[in-house]
Amino acid sequence: MSLAIEIKNLVVEYPSGRGVVQAVRGLNLSVPEGQVYGFLGPNGAGKTTTMHVLLGFIEAQSGEARIFNENVRHSIARQRIGYLPEHPDLYRFLTGRELLTMAGRLFLMSGRALKHRIEELLEMMGLAQAADRRIATYSRGMMQRIGLAQALIHDPELLILDEPTSGFDPLGRIEIRKMIAGLREHGKTVFFSSHELSEVERICDQVGILSGGRLVAEGVVSELVKGGESLENYFLRILL
Amino acid sequence: MSRLLTIAGVVWLEVLRRKDVYVLFILLAAFLIILLTLDVFGLGGLVGYVKEIGLLLAWLFSLILAVAVSVRQLPQEEERGTIFPLLAKPVTRGNVILGKWLGVWSIISLATIMFYLLLVWIVLWRGGGFGVAILGQAIVLHLGLLGIITALGILFSTRLNGDAAATLTLVVTLAAYLVLPRVPHLIMNEQGVRRTCLLALYYALPHLELFDLRRRLVHNWDPVSAVTWIQIVLYGVILMAMFLLLAWMAYRGKRFSRGVLV
Repeated sequence: MSLAIEIKNLVVEYPSGRGVVQAVRGLNLSVPEGQVYGFLGPNGAGKTTTMHVLLGFIEAQSGEARIFNENVRHSIARQRIGYLPEHPDLYRFLTGRELLTMAGRLFLMSGRALKHRIEELLEMMGLAQAADRRIATYSRGMMQRIGLAQALIHDPELLILDEPTSGFDPLGRIEIRKMIAGLREHGKTVFFSSHELSEVERICDQVGILSGGRLVAEGVVSELVKGGESLENYFLRILL
Repeated sequence: MSRLLTIAGVVWLEVLRRKDVYVLFILLAAFLIILLTLDVFGLGGLVGYVKEIGLLLAWLFSLILAVAVSVRQLPQEEERGTIFPLLAKPVTRGNVILGKWLGVWSIISLATIMFYLLLVWIVLWRGGGFGVAILGQAIVLHLGLLGIITALGILFSTRLNGDAAATLTLVVTLAAYLVLPRVPHLIMNEQGVRRTCLLALYYALPHLELFDLRRRLVHNWDPVSAVTWIQIVLYGVILMAMFLLLAWMAYRGKRFSRGVLV
């Protein structure tokens, strides 16, 4: 099976005071196409930094990151990615529809195809009624939905989601879970970080646990967690 | 090009919805109407006075807009975190710099043309007039100047926050506009290192005074020769390109701090 994400010996450092902080230390990770991969770890583990390297926001000191066998430094790799940041704060002066139009045009979409896709996503996210309202008037959950819609505008093959369920109420979380399951059924790859371990347990094909910039555990949930232990207990046992 | 226009379009919507442009337009109209009520110099004198003050206000307001709007674009994207979903799309940092500049420059240029139209309408209404050729030359050079200031604002805001970038842009603009034309007089009385330093300053800073044809407009003088005018336009294009190139160089390797270590 070909790989959607391939990370080899990745090292990312930040200057901090007079020294250097290693946010990611020799990370190796592979995500096959069509899988839902849960990227777990405590705050400061290096999850967002790894995602930022994959998206080409920052360059690693050493190692390599590839998306669909394309080096992440090339902007062509981003043609096939949809990204939802943690706490998306989008252009508040735009309406939901304008934001999606802008996102679509950046992927060179236009005309009827773009209009149709926007309507489809607004309907899917339950935002059809609020489409012509400014994003400034949206609740946190609606902001998250419109953020997810802009990530899906070009029907990406790989979705990178940073805490996609934060800001959602329980019903909203179930919707997101269904959506991720639906994306998998359509052969999409989903790479997401989350602190909601019960959700991760339900929807992920594979999980990776990051701590101090290193991958401390990786595998299929049912293989990692044995004897009726929950993922949450396993997570705590690994990290403490 | 489509991506540049999309980024520029977002800048347009932001400026129009923040309403800065409308406020300045109403202020300009209010100032001009107040001037028209002050009939202390007789009608002929009043038209010249309206032209002079009106042009000064149009310059001042367009300068305020150019600085305020250009310096907030990049820091605002970073502070709000909107830069992340933007750069996650197939958009390069060069696209962001050029798209932002294009958006700011085009909307400020449109506002400036509106300022001129209002001024021309009031001057014509009071029985005065402008030479068409010199008016056209003056407007184009004014828009060129705004392009340079906008590029300078974007350059400084790649590495500074909005306030610091605004201060620096204003200082450089005012120094270049007010001090630089006086340097040749100073050089005549200087020798040695001081003379060399003044000469270096004279050639290093942009000569923004070249873009100001207000005096010719007020006094209905002849247009500038076509060759000189084209040379000034080219000089402006070179300055803009240089500042945008420097902005891209400063921005391409920049690490964004928000949320990176989470």
